[in-house]
Amino acid sequence: MDTTPDGAAPPEAPATAAEPSSNPPPQAPADPKNVQSTEADTAPKLSPAELKKRKQAEKQAKRAQAKSSVPQTPAQQKGPLAKEGQKQQKDSKNAKADLSKPFPVRRRPSQGNTPVVKEVKVELKKDKQDRGLFFGHLYNQPRQHSMVGASKDVNPAILALGLQYSNYIICGSTARMVAMLLAFKTVIEQYHTPVGTSLARHLTAHHLNPQIDYLRSCRPLSISMGNAIRWLKDLIIKIDPDVPEDEAKRDLQENIDYFIRDRVTLADDIITSATAQKINSGDVIMTYASSSVVEKTLIRAHQKGIDFSVIVIDSKPLFEGKQLARKLANHGIRVKYLLITGAAHAIKEASKVFLGAHAMMSNGRLYSRIGTALVAMLASSNGLPVIVLCESVKFTERVALDSIVGNEAAPAEEILSEAERRALLPLKPYLHTSLLPKDDTKDTPAKGNGEVLEWVDNSDNFQMLQLLYDVTPANYINMVITEYGSLPPSSVPVVHRLSTHV
Amino acid sequence: MAPSSVIVAPGLSSFLKSLKTTPVEPSVEHFISLLKRRQIRNSRPCAIATTALLLRVVSEFKGRDATKLVNRIRDVGKRLTAAQPREVVVGNIVRRVLGLVREVVEENQDGETNATSDVGHGQGGLAHHDSLSRPQLHSSISTFSPLRHAAAEPMDSSFHYSENMSDSGELSRRPPLLTSHTSYAPASAAPLVNSLFGLFTQPDTPSNASTPTGHQSPDRGALTALNLERLADTAKSNIDLKAEVLDGIRELQDELEQSDDLIAQNALDHIHNNEIILTHTASTSVQKFLLAAAKKRKFTILHTETCPHDHTATHGVLLTGRKGEAQATDVGETWKPLIAAGIQVYLIPDSHVFAIMSRVNKVILATHTVLANGGLVAAAGARMIAQAAKDHQTPVVVVSGVYKLSPVYPFDIDELIEYGDVGKVVPYEDGDFVEKVDVENPLYDYVPADLVDLYITNL
Repeated sequence: MDTTPDGAAPPEAPATAAEPSSNPPPQAPADPKNVQSTEADTAPKLSPAELKKRKQAEKQAKRAQAKSSVPQTPAQQKGPLAKEGQKQQKDSKNAKADLSKPFPVRRRPSQGNTPVVKEVKVELKKDKQDRGLFFGHLYNQPRQHSMVGASKDVNPAILALGLQYSNYIICGSTARMVAMLLAFKTVIEQYHTPVGTSLARHLTAHHLNPQIDYLRSCRPLSISMGNAIRWLKDLIIKIDPDVPEDEAKRDLQENIDYFIRDRVTLADDIITSATAQKINSGDVIMTYASSSVVEKTLIRAHQKGIDFSVIVIDSKPLFEGKQLARKLANHGIRVKYLLITGAAHAIKEASKVFLGAHAMMSNGRLYSRIGTALVAMLASSNGLPVIVLCESVKFTERVALDSIVGNEAAPAEEILSEAERRALLPLKPYLHTSLLPKDDTKDTPAKGNGEVLEWVDNSDNFQMLQLLYDVTPANYINMVITEYGSLPPSSVPVVHRLSTHV
Repeated sequence: MAPSSVIVAPGLSSFLKSLKTTPVEPSVEHFISLLKRRQIRNSRPCAIATTALLLRVVSEFKGRDATKLVNRIRDVGKRLTAAQPREVVVGNIVRRVLGLVREVVEENQDGETNATSDVGHGQGGLAHHDSLSRPQLHSSISTFSPLRHAAAEPMDSSFHYSENMSDSGELSRRPPLLTSHTSYAPASAAPLVNSLFGLFTQPDTPSNASTPTGHQSPDRGALTALNLERLADTAKSNIDLKAEVLDGIRELQDELEQSDDLIAQNALDHIHNNEIILTHTASTSVQKFLLAAAKKRKFTILHTETCPHDHTATHGVLLTGRKGEAQATDVGETWKPLIAAGIQVYLIPDSHVFAIMSRVNKVILATHTVLANGGLVAAAGARMIAQAAKDHQTPVVVVSGVYKLSPVYPFDIDELIEYGDVGKVVPYEDGDFVEKVDVENPLYDYVPADLVDLYITNL
């Protein structure tokens, strides 16, 4: 699923390359860029500790800024924003005041409304998860939410990006890939080949890999990111050692821009125009969560003057559909919004189902935001066409039979939102003794909502599970629309071969 | 308005408390307003409250005229069902009580009924019954609604009851029963109706324990309103009609109380060791069922949240065995949580159902009502769970008290579905969103009969 990272621009996004595709509103790149470019220039001179501090502040400011800037209409945004961006680093209080508004940035539901600086600590996860039923393997790798322990080789741009990943500020397979490529451009720009090595050898193995490892530690790489990395490394290795470094670097940066243009911007354009033709007047399109291609398609069809309405189905944990519904409604499309429990109702009114993809597997299965499979199942049992919109960059040679073997686990405590924890607090007197804190003597009432999580932690038997993706069987999918045309899901491997061996 | 509505948090417990001190008529009004305001909701609380109310209605009833009593109960029943037609259970209970009255009367008639009911068995009798007993519903439900039929159709509960106390040897008497059922259910539903109502032939319900089983007229099942009219005359005999009906209602109350435990007795027959079971909502019946199994077996529960309308209760039940503070005072709502019984419980969001279903051995669903065609109305999300289970060939077991079986046929599913507070999906603070986007929050799902493999009841 790919959604525009609202307001949170990829670091150092140059205006030319940023325009394509799933990208921030035009004015958004302006301020992060200001903040960041100064950052990037001075960064190498700072000691690691200072760097850390700055990053932390920056991250906060960015987050706050994303929050405060997004709900405003574009008209409002123009003036104050440029200044705001710089100001915010100093007074984040100002930003906090703005936070009372709802803001559409996707983020972890467990985060409070106040951007508290999270205690920087490596998560000491109990090995409770290992005893997990059949998903213990998904918790193998602890999630990183800070920059502590990052290798010193990691470029500041990548550090910032990693945090945006782990906080779901940049979310969605396409958006993550584009943001990563743009960050890599910065990395390449600042790269100098050490004496005695060649760019082709040193850049991939010794410089790019630490960056990738860091990104992976923040959030597992998406399929599209993997594809892009493979392409980039391939490109670098093939660089003739005789080419001067400057020229090689320029070439690489240009190629990255071309890649984004060809594989994302143009691909999206072809897909949206092809799909928009499939929408007839009077159609009721159902979609799940949020996909940037689906969003563009619907808006495009609406602008063509087709009269249709949209049902957005949404679910925990990220509530991405909310942003989609909001954007569509702002464009004047009739939108209905339900949570996944109501999907069986809504499906009766729908006439077509459009789904976004995280990846298309080679066995024709769709790997997408968890819950997609349910919507596809309901649609196919109701005889509705299920259409997947997916750029070929998200195709993979990997296969998947179920959603358990390969998946990404989200931190389980996010399942209980702040409000839900608050609702549980009054139940404390009835709590089973095994859940109460072991040191019951010092009862600190100030713990607040976090206490509920302690109950869960204390319990040996109670666990929460939260995955991010599921696999939709191919037989639920009627059509996959890519920039290569519309195909049945069984043609995925063919397209993948086509797109990788051109 | 009832004087007791002053109580801070109105609900089942406050209603039951006030029932003792308030006169009948205000109590009825009180209950109606509670139903309308959804302060008493869900099958169990509704059933308990209705029984308690009817107990009081009957005990306050003056006179010995059976017809008048029947009319009185029916009148109250009509008002209750009109107040909240989607709580089908209210109608079910009213029907049970009506059947009870008829039964009591009939038992005291012996030979006389033999003669009259033969007449009543014919076409004319049926027609008469229809015109007599079909209720006038003053609700938003359309004339053709199944709910209308369900509102206060007194006849079939008398069937239930008479079947209830009969032996399985009486199965031969089923045909007349079915013909009268098909008077409001299409013929296609007949086999299912048959299998569902066959439940009532099991004689070991607690409510039967003290019901005399001997001495039945062969045509008891066809007791009609025709002979009811005669009852008016005959029932003036010296039997203590009221006392017997009251006893019957108390038995009904016992049955309601015990139904979950009786269902739970079957648990060990259905759950084996190391099973992975998926369930949803904070249902008392299901939790007790699983707890009973947990005494002997170790298994794993995957519990979906049923967001947005039941997730808080679900969390509460899983952690503490209580559905939340609001209901903490309600009767019989607490038990040891499953985790305390040593059962591994995994809480999963609703969207995970399909992803996880390939690893699930069994799906256990709670229900709101079971309909005449074997389908059920259950908490939202049940439909997709059942469908996912079907697609993975996972058996779906529905746990339901008999009081939830209703003669309602789902002609129009949408009429059975209640929509809830939209603010739970998107908070109203997000005014911009709520204004532009049409947000919906259906509370129930209709699950077709073919998605369900097994019903477990308290009989």
